[in-house]
Amino acid sequence: MWQTRPESRDSPVCMVSVRAKQLIKRFGETTVLRGVELDIPDGKFAVLVGPSGCGKSTLLRLLAGLERVSSGSIWFGEREVTTLEPRERDIAMVFQSYALYPHMTVRKNLEFGLRLRKTDAATMTARVEEVAGMLDIAHLLDRLPRALSGGQRQRVAMGRAIVRRPALFLFDEPLSNLDPALRAQVRVEIRKLHDELGVTSVYVTHDQVEAMTLADVLYVLEGGEVQQRGRPIDIYREPDNVFVAQFLGSPAMNVRSVELARGPAGEWRAGSVPIAQPSAFAGLEVGRGVIVGVRPHDLALVGEAEADLRLRAEVVETLGPELTVHGTLESDEPFVAVLPAEHAVERGDTLALRIERLHLFDAQTRQSLRC
Amino acid sequence: MTPADVLRSATVRFWPALVALALWLAASVAHAGEPIRLWHAYRGAEEQALDEILASFEGEVDLLAVPYDAFASKLESTVPLGEGPDVYIDAHERLGDFVERGIVAPLPFALSPEAYPDKVIAAVTIDGRPYAAPTSQKCLALYVNTALVAEPPASVERIAALADALPDGTFALAYEARGAYAHAAVLAAFGGALLDTAADDYAFEGPEAARSLEFVAALIEAGVVPEDADGALVTNLFGAGQAATAISGPWLAADLDRDQIAYVVVPLPTIEATGERMRPLLTVEAVMLSPRGAQNPAAVDLVEHLSGAEAAAIRARVARSVPARADLELPPDPLREAFAAQAELAEPTPSTAAMRAVWEPANRAIRKYLRGEVEAEVALAEARRRYDDLRRPPPPPASPTPALVVLGLLCLFGAGLLVHRARKLGPGAGLAALRQSLPAYRYVALGVVAVGVLVVLPILFGAGAALFAGKPHAMYYVGLANFTQILTARGGSLLATGSFYVVLAVTVLWTVVNVAFHLGIGVALGLVLSRPAMRLRGLYRVLLIVPWAVPSYVTALAWRGMFHRQFGAVTGLIHAINDLLGTSLEPIAWFSNFSTAFAANVATNVWLGFPFMMVVTLGALAAVPSDVLEAAEVDGASRWQRLTRITLPIVAPTMIPAVTLGAIWTFNMFNVVFLVSGGDPDGTTDILVSEAYRWAFTREAQYGYAAAYAVLIFLLLLITSRVADRLLNRGPK
Amino acid sequence: MTRRADLLESLAAHTVILLAVCFSLYPILWVVSLAFSGATSLEPQVLPIPVEPTLEPMREVVGATRVEPDGGEIWLFGRQLANSLVVSTATALIGVSIAIPTAYAFARFEFVGRREGMRLLLATQMFPAVASAVPLFMILEALELLNTRTGLVLCYASTSVPFAVFQLRSAFEAIPEDLEEAAMVDGATRFEAFVRVVLPIARPAIAVTFLFAFMTAYNEFILAATLLDDERAFTLPVVLQRFIGEYDARWDLFAAGAIVVSLPVMLLFYQVQRHMVAGLGAGGVKG
Repeated sequence: MWQTRPESRDSPVCMVSVRAKQLIKRFGETTVLRGVELDIPDGKFAVLVGPSGCGKSTLLRLLAGLERVSSGSIWFGEREVTTLEPRERDIAMVFQSYALYPHMTVRKNLEFGLRLRKTDAATMTARVEEVAGMLDIAHLLDRLPRALSGGQRQRVAMGRAIVRRPALFLFDEPLSNLDPALRAQVRVEIRKLHDELGVTSVYVTHDQVEAMTLADVLYVLEGGEVQQRGRPIDIYREPDNVFVAQFLGSPAMNVRSVELARGPAGEWRAGSVPIAQPSAFAGLEVGRGVIVGVRPHDLALVGEAEADLRLRAEVVETLGPELTVHGTLESDEPFVAVLPAEHAVERGDTLALRIERLHLFDAQTRQSLRC
Repeated sequence: MTPADVLRSATVRFWPALVALALWLAASVAHAGEPIRLWHAYRGAEEQALDEILASFEGEVDLLAVPYDAFASKLESTVPLGEGPDVYIDAHERLGDFVERGIVAPLPFALSPEAYPDKVIAAVTIDGRPYAAPTSQKCLALYVNTALVAEPPASVERIAALADALPDGTFALAYEARGAYAHAAVLAAFGGALLDTAADDYAFEGPEAARSLEFVAALIEAGVVPEDADGALVTNLFGAGQAATAISGPWLAADLDRDQIAYVVVPLPTIEATGERMRPLLTVEAVMLSPRGAQNPAAVDLVEHLSGAEAAAIRARVARSVPARADLELPPDPLREAFAAQAELAEPTPSTAAMRAVWEPANRAIRKYLRGEVEAEVALAEARRRYDDLRRPPPPPASPTPALVVLGLLCLFGAGLLVHRARKLGPGAGLAALRQSLPAYRYVALGVVAVGVLVVLPILFGAGAALFAGKPHAMYYVGLANFTQILTARGGSLLATGSFYVVLAVTVLWTVVNVAFHLGIGVALGLVLSRPAMRLRGLYRVLLIVPWAVPSYVTALAWRGMFHRQFGAVTGLIHAINDLLGTSLEPIAWFSNFSTAFAANVATNVWLGFPFMMVVTLGALAAVPSDVLEAAEVDGASRWQRLTRITLPIVAPTMIPAVTLGAIWTFNMFNVVFLVSGGDPDGTTDILVSEAYRWAFTREAQYGYAAAYAVLIFLLLLITSRVADRLLNRGPK
Repeated sequence: MTRRADLLESLAAHTVILLAVCFSLYPILWVVSLAFSGATSLEPQVLPIPVEPTLEPMREVVGATRVEPDGGEIWLFGRQLANSLVVSTATALIGVSIAIPTAYAFARFEFVGRREGMRLLLATQMFPAVASAVPLFMILEALELLNTRTGLVLCYASTSVPFAVFQLRSAFEAIPEDLEEAAMVDGATRFEAFVRVVLPIARPAIAVTFLFAFMTAYNEFILAATLLDDERAFTLPVVLQRFIGEYDARWDLFAAGAIVVSLPVMLLFYQVQRHMVAGLGAGGVKG
């Protein structure tokens, strides 16, 4: 679908790293960002993910220059851009609403940024043709945005960003207005495009699938702070706190508050659940309040003897290769397990499950006890 | 090319175009060689006569015909500023006012007692000085249709006796029975007068006045005289042969077609009940000099030319005017001679301020009595009170010290508030906020200057004037006296017609009724038009918007015509219903009854205003998501429930600003009230704005008083809107 | 719902609308019939049909001329029509061009005095013009603009500017802010984004506002009659008003004149009316 013609690129790609230091943003009395640090290397695809209201969009707008920081600084490469206007930052942005200029044809939309930079007509036409070919929108160039479908508009919005050849791409939930099938498809295309163009990108989403699949560097935000930064898989495997643990992964991690104790054999237990690898955790003390977390995928169906817990199935969802079992434990707490589809589970069955891997967090600080 | 395209090309060539436009506009009409500026209110033959007179004048004259209604206000707004005419022709009764305002200068030459009758000279003399050169005399006389009446009847009673012999729908006597001007002639026959000239005091009271009113009421009752004839109707009736006789001035003759109607003019008849002749008021038309014109010898020459014998001869020949001069030999003309004979029997209208204050109360008393609402004595007593009200002594000057102290305190308070705010923001935050506001200020600068100079400044001046009294250009500070007088109904009953509270009640009723109709009709039509299956929607919308596109004064006047009792379309409708159903509904005299006059005003204003609400509704309805309605339908909501529980609540917030503005405009809707009912009957349909207008521009230009009204209107609206805002915002969002 | 009920409902809807159409057109037809009637009939007419049809009043109004002191003859009516059009256009241009940046700032910027400014503007609408007209004259006098058409335009601008600010502010608010931000990221300054993106999108609303401003000036006669004292500088409403004196009402001339005066503005209205629904409602522009 992407018909890239790298040979036609006439200027070397200019990439920048993105760094932000102690960003604070207040709107009146409310503080939206409380000292955010970013460090995105050249050419990487960074995703800012978090629930709505976490400050991710504000952070992106600060990077774009659409909002002014209350304090802190932003650097693109060696250049400080904290107080620069958007147009001075050499960036391009894809908006959630696409923000296509309704009074201009697709071609005019694509040309707009180039025109403002006084690009000569020949270059302009060449670039527009190139991008239109790349995005398969060449046949739409003379239409007005209102005559396009949602997917086509999204492409034009992307094209408008690409045609400018900026040093940095900013994406503000660009897929949230598409239907799910198209969303998955475009997601892949965006990643391919990034790999081909190699331009540093910052992408904001609340969708963890997009976050996991797209990111080279993932930032999880909540409450105006970065909760965790890292490769998606690392964050998934080793979440730093309860929030991150629950936010990433679907279905969400099962958690419950318990106290640490020792079993009859002296083994560590979190409530009734044995801790298989106590050495992985620091600060284990009898009586310490902890939150124990188990991902639904980290469970195995075993014989009664090996079971760490018993789950009474109430709703069983079949999703091709997997079964999702919603039910309650003996203690009547709700619990979710994901099992391979070959198991036949019926409503009302009681499943004996072994925990393959568990997470421990301090009950007060909610930070991971992993060492 | 659509207007949008025009606009686009206009923005491209915007500045040069605007500059060119400004230059074109600023080039106010050139006064090449400064000709003498002469204003008049003549039309038809009189205008021709004037043209002919000027043709033989040496100097260059710039002539302007000013509508009679606008004449005085234009003089008042231009002459004191050194603008306006050098010479103008007007009726002598305005002289008193003009002298007070310094609009007229004394004549630089004397009027010869041989050339003019004494009363003509007296009419233009104030404090012993002649202020105008008389040209002609005008008064009422009796027109007799010779086809209907062979011999001019000698008395009103004889005229009344004709009534039975006349064909149906023909009146024996047509005249403006409800106007004080014509009634003055009747009154004179009863030995009364509108004004006691010796004492310069109101005189329309007592048994003579009451009897004169009862006399006229009997004539109307007997069908001799039409009840609600105005000047135009008298012309129409007599001109169409539907009146055997008419009392009118020379202007009627100008409108009559000699070929179509045979008539003679004779002096007014006697009234047998008293044995006295009716004696009309006399108007002396005269040439006046503005103070600037008095400096200009050419203008003085023009005055002499216009008032000279040669001019009088031309006027007599072309316009058949009765000359003011008594020293002329003129060719015989029965019409002119009849009016001249009548003029000799007439008394000049006094030109004092007291006389000017008589008209409105007297007119209202006559109308009120003739409508049969009250006894003559009551109506006259009310008129007396109203006259005293108009002539009440102006409030005494007050010391401005308290006002200055309050002003100073307000400034201090304002400064304190600013400081407090800046403190609250924290040190430097105020400055930072200002700095951040700078880009926005660049955008609003032009608007702020324009609104400041053209809107806010005049309002501040206007509001300030509420603390002053006296004529414009000679105002003095009176403190809150104007407000006290308004709020205490000037010492009269708080519930009397014209009291602030009664007018306020009418205004509130007016606003509520209008806004309710606008909203009801607008929303209903909007809903019907936006039905999904509606055909011809575009066409209907265009047709329904039409009332909005027509200039509002055109529609207001058209509606007034449609409500005319004699030949209005509404009367036609009633006739049609009578013919069709055999009923005998009476045509309604719309403007002689509060409820019908009010209804006529409302009908006009509803007609003017519903398209706006309809369009607003259509816009708001377009924003109602259809899935919500479908959800409600699935939930089993009936059509009515969907409308009241879903559509209207969703539409309401977007319509509130439009409704608020609409309510404010309606509250201050001057045009309709002024043009349609004009406050009739008896000022009862006046709203606060038209009341303020009367104080400002009629009633001796009590500008400060009018300004106080304006301030009260402003405060009322401000407080109401704040309260409404609070209530609306407190409700569920 | 049955077809029969549908039919009945549709019938009812059309009946309601047709009644409203009659109500809205009747007075206009009445004026039209008056303008083309030869005889000023005293018989009340129900149907607005001209009696003894004639073009005489129309001819008399439109053909009005004036002999200049130098002996030349000018087409007075044409001159007055031009006055009306120029004064109204100038009012609308000035009103809209002052209001556009102001309304934009009120719609988009946070600044000290924003709320107060808007409140003040609304408050000015509540003060009756009766009391502010005289001070306005005094200001025009100070600017030496009293007897000029420029002065008249400024008077009219005093009502058209606040109204245009209200109108345009809500129009600008209805335009998604994303669009300007996209333009700014694309390399535009705030002002460029305003001019190249916001203004073109707001064109329908601007056209509607322009029309309203035009109409306030085009329909006004009290101020015009007071301010202007040269026949050649008159605007048409002043001319019309003069046909109806207290004793001498030429309704036929008035009606004929009213038709001629109303036509241009009705044409403009027709051109712009389809934008009105969008322009006045909150809907504004949809992507």
